[in-house]
Amino acid sequence: MNANYKGFTGLLIVFAAIAFVSCEDKINPSLENANSILVVDAWINNLVEEQTILLTLTQPYLENVLPTGVSGASITITDNQGRIFSFKESDKALGNYIWKPTGNETFGKIGNRYTLTIVYKGETFKSTSRMGRVPSIDSITFKTEKQPGGTKLITRGEFWATDPIGVGDAYWIKAFKNGLLLNKPAEINFAFDAGFSPGGQTDGVVFITPIRRGINSIDEDTSAGATGNLSPFTDNDSINVQIHSITYESFNYLNQVTLETQRPGGFSELFSRPLSNVSTNIANANPTGSKAVGFFNVAAVSSLGKRYKEK
Amino acid sequence: MKFFKLLVFTFIFCAPSAFSQNLEKFTVNGYIKDASNGEALIGASVYVKEINNGALTNEYGFYSITLPPGNYTLGVTYLGYLSVSRPFALDKNQQINVELASESTQLEEVVVEDTEDQPTVRNTEMSTNKLDIKTITKIPTLLGEVDVIRSLLLLPGVSTVGEGAAGFNVRGGGVGQNLVLLDEAPVYNSSHLFGFFSVFNPDAVKDVKLYKGAVPARYGGRIASILDVRMKEGNSKKFEANGGIGTIFSRLAIEAPIVKDKASFIVALRRSYIDILARPTLQFLKDGGALNFYDLTLKANYNINRKNKVFLSGYFGRDVFKFDRVQGFDWGNQTGTLRWNHLFNERLFSNLTLVYSQYDYNLAFGNDDRNSFRWNSSISNFIAKPQFTYYINSNNELNFGADVTYYSFEPANAVGVTNGQAVDLSIERKYNLETAVHVGNSQKISDLLSIDYGLRFSHFQYLGPGTAYTYNDTIPGIRRSVIGSKKYGDGETIAQYSNLEPRLSFKVQASPSSSVKGSYNRTAQYLHLISNTTASNPLDVWTPTSNNIKPQTADQFTLGYFKEIGEEKKYEFSLEGYLRYTRNQIDYIDGADLLINRFLEGDLLVGKGRAYGVEAYVQKKTGRFTGWVSYTLGRSELKTDGINRGEWYETRYNQTHNLKIAGFYDISKRWSVSGNFVFTSGTPTTFPTSRYVVQGVLIPYNAQESRNNVHLPDYHRLDISFRFEGRKTHRDGSVRRNTDYWVFGLYNLYARKNPFSIYFSQTDARFPTGQALQSQAIQLAIIGTVIPSISYNFKF
Repeated sequence: MNANYKGFTGLLIVFAAIAFVSCEDKINPSLENANSILVVDAWINNLVEEQTILLTLTQPYLENVLPTGVSGASITITDNQGRIFSFKESDKALGNYIWKPTGNETFGKIGNRYTLTIVYKGETFKSTSRMGRVPSIDSITFKTEKQPGGTKLITRGEFWATDPIGVGDAYWIKAFKNGLLLNKPAEINFAFDAGFSPGGQTDGVVFITPIRRGINSIDEDTSAGATGNLSPFTDNDSINVQIHSITYESFNYLNQVTLETQRPGGFSELFSRPLSNVSTNIANANPTGSKAVGFFNVAAVSSLGKRYKEK
Repeated sequence: MKFFKLLVFTFIFCAPSAFSQNLEKFTVNGYIKDASNGEALIGASVYVKEINNGALTNEYGFYSITLPPGNYTLGVTYLGYLSVSRPFALDKNQQINVELASESTQLEEVVVEDTEDQPTVRNTEMSTNKLDIKTITKIPTLLGEVDVIRSLLLLPGVSTVGEGAAGFNVRGGGVGQNLVLLDEAPVYNSSHLFGFFSVFNPDAVKDVKLYKGAVPARYGGRIASILDVRMKEGNSKKFEANGGIGTIFSRLAIEAPIVKDKASFIVALRRSYIDILARPTLQFLKDGGALNFYDLTLKANYNINRKNKVFLSGYFGRDVFKFDRVQGFDWGNQTGTLRWNHLFNERLFSNLTLVYSQYDYNLAFGNDDRNSFRWNSSISNFIAKPQFTYYINSNNELNFGADVTYYSFEPANAVGVTNGQAVDLSIERKYNLETAVHVGNSQKISDLLSIDYGLRFSHFQYLGPGTAYTYNDTIPGIRRSVIGSKKYGDGETIAQYSNLEPRLSFKVQASPSSSVKGSYNRTAQYLHLISNTTASNPLDVWTPTSNNIKPQTADQFTLGYFKEIGEEKKYEFSLEGYLRYTRNQIDYIDGADLLINRFLEGDLLVGKGRAYGVEAYVQKKTGRFTGWVSYTLGRSELKTDGINRGEWYETRYNQTHNLKIAGFYDISKRWSVSGNFVFTSGTPTTFPTSRYVVQGVLIPYNAQESRNNVHLPDYHRLDISFRFEGRKTHRDGSVRRNTDYWVFGLYNLYARKNPFSIYFSQTDARFPTGQALQSQAIQLAIIGTVIPSISYNFKF
């Protein structure tokens, strides 16, 4: 029910601003020391492009520099039909391991199962995934209306697609505005069937409203005297929506990522959950060996783009 | 079961001897009331000098004492009231009703005695705190709004996770482990505006009592505490109106006799009015939006005759937050209580209570019919509670009765409409029946030793129609999946549990002014507040015990020392230790989905808990300067497989030190000042150690997998308020019929930014690929400055 929480939180903030004086300060607390462990960013898809797996190391939470790439690992993905995909270490970007398609070839096939194997410093890490089906996007529409509770006009986009019949499909809907992935925690948009969660009974229908509209950028309007957010679209902005099929494990993972990273602060802190680690599907073949974090998913992708034109 | 045998043994051998002594005895009974308005006084001490013994009045102001014939003197005392002493000859059963005058409004016809000669009736009660409404109204509060629940936070063993958090924590228990009763009706959400104000209108509240331990057998259903709020009956002498305008609420309460000294009523209304003031400037209010909260409290009573009395009370409260005419949400409690007091004979008092109580909330998003989301959820219950007190003799008071509660839960009635296509997300209703029978005796064994012993037997049924799911086993902390389901028909029992709950407490009178008390009790809880957030919120759902969720149970042991200090017993001191073990405590998997989830039970974890601590309390009760100091040293922990590597961890509301000082001083006839100071250790929270980036999202990571591994900075705050009484007389010297007063308050006087939380997030900026995401730690103070307030109150 994340989107409802968003609305709920938004309202809380409105009221808090009227009635109370909360106060936030950036601080620099000391954190417990921790050893670095391997981070695996292995989100593979069937678009016609190079597939990259990124290996890095965890870093202290408040260390605001790029993570260190990990060199010298060997990575392969095999499917249940015995095909092996080799990922070669890039000599340009540290920690990037790349599979290059030949010609118009795409990675994998819907329904197939994939096993990721990473050998790093003598340890073997494994993970599995399955490429799920994905519905096509019928259309993208734009709507200009007054901001709730305000007078400012804002334009929001909405994509239209229908979840295929059969319970258990899950998707990550990625939106690229003017070519840039919208990846703020509040912009992560994912679905189980056409709704928010497995308990939601939304199989085989059009994606529910908050998911359809979850493709809009969320940027605070910081100009003088302004309140609320910038209009997600202004004249000539482009949007490209991709639906990536994900596994149930990946769905749970994204759910956790959202919970752990969306901290709008202020009054909503009253209703924050205790911080906990998000799950990983990267396991050391030796259960007592080093730990790793990150996620492996093989996705089928459907996409549609549109440009917004003011009349 | 050992205890049960002991109890049966005691009844068989002690009770008959108690009954057999009753030959040739007579009973004096009656009601103790406030002389100015006829309100029954709860817990007044009624004392027979000649036998050095007596009784406390019950919730309806009733007492009964049985004695051999003779000449006696009846003494009646109640804090804040002038004591009364009445000689009487007991040669037949008789009723003596006494009206006490408040210390400030002395009436002529009352025989007055010095309080210092009046020994108080000693009882075994411990681990309880009483707050009368007069004290509550003096406590400086946030924005000057008199608040029952906030006042409790100044008592030993009571804490909160922070400003704005709903509810309260008792002795390291959760917010959902307190039973909040308003005229015996359970209140499922005791807060307005999330947690800033409580739902009780102070103008309608008479008495507040908190049981933190040594809970009598007649109470049950929650494992941490029982908060028993009793409403005023309404002035039975004359018309009275109370009201005021504060920063948040404007209030009006009207009470009057319907038939003088026989029937009366009270109607009390409060409403926030900020929306009315803001309407011209806020567009969403002009568009039909709403932002307000209100409550209406009603009560009437009718004294049919000497043996029968009926009370009818109701409460309706609501918070409404709407963006526009349609979208937004609202929530509230409604309760109705019908009570019938009946005297079967001079010594057998009974009360039958019938209650209807409901809590519900509604949400609506999407303002066109083709695309919308509507959701409501509710819990409603019907309760019947026959209760009997048999005043066997001056040494034994037997209480027995039953509780029957029928629950109907609507976890989610939700419909999403997408492009005209409706999807029903509703979760089926759940039905439950909770029954309990209880018996308990209060016995004075000798002048040195008194004991209370009782037993409660509770039984809970999960009834059809409904679907029961079974789940697979996984590694603790991973979501469990449904592996089977079974449908049950109307009225079929899906699951049932029962618990024997022994209650025992004793008091040893060490000296005339000091005593040692101890208790053991077991409590069981069949409803669970499902909430994994720092503070509970209005959308949190209560979930009943089921085939997958077992009842929570607790065993609590307490031991305390109590002393009255000074010749005039102006000071009261107590030191109490407590130890509580809890079982079947609910926690949640990481990423648990608690709302509109049919398979919620698959996201729950079960653990055990322990809480222990020491509470010290000194109170000065009388004089120009009154107040108290309360200090609690405590710890509250949980152990759950799947959290914190399976090791013990502190609860989010654990506080090592908790110091509260409250003082009230009358400067002059018209000015008085109140102040309170609070110091508490910072509550625990979880910090990450590391960060990593996957798919362009910065993710926090705790390499030790710990929960609540660090503490927030300490919390301290000083509040002060001044009260200015309006003139009591006109310029010509005649007495004014109406009185009024102003309260000027300063909350958080030295403007400390007390941290509510420290949270970690990535900054809001967008970074192109190839640049490092920026992480930050933010300390949040819900109230970061001094908050002044002013309120005007009147009475006529």
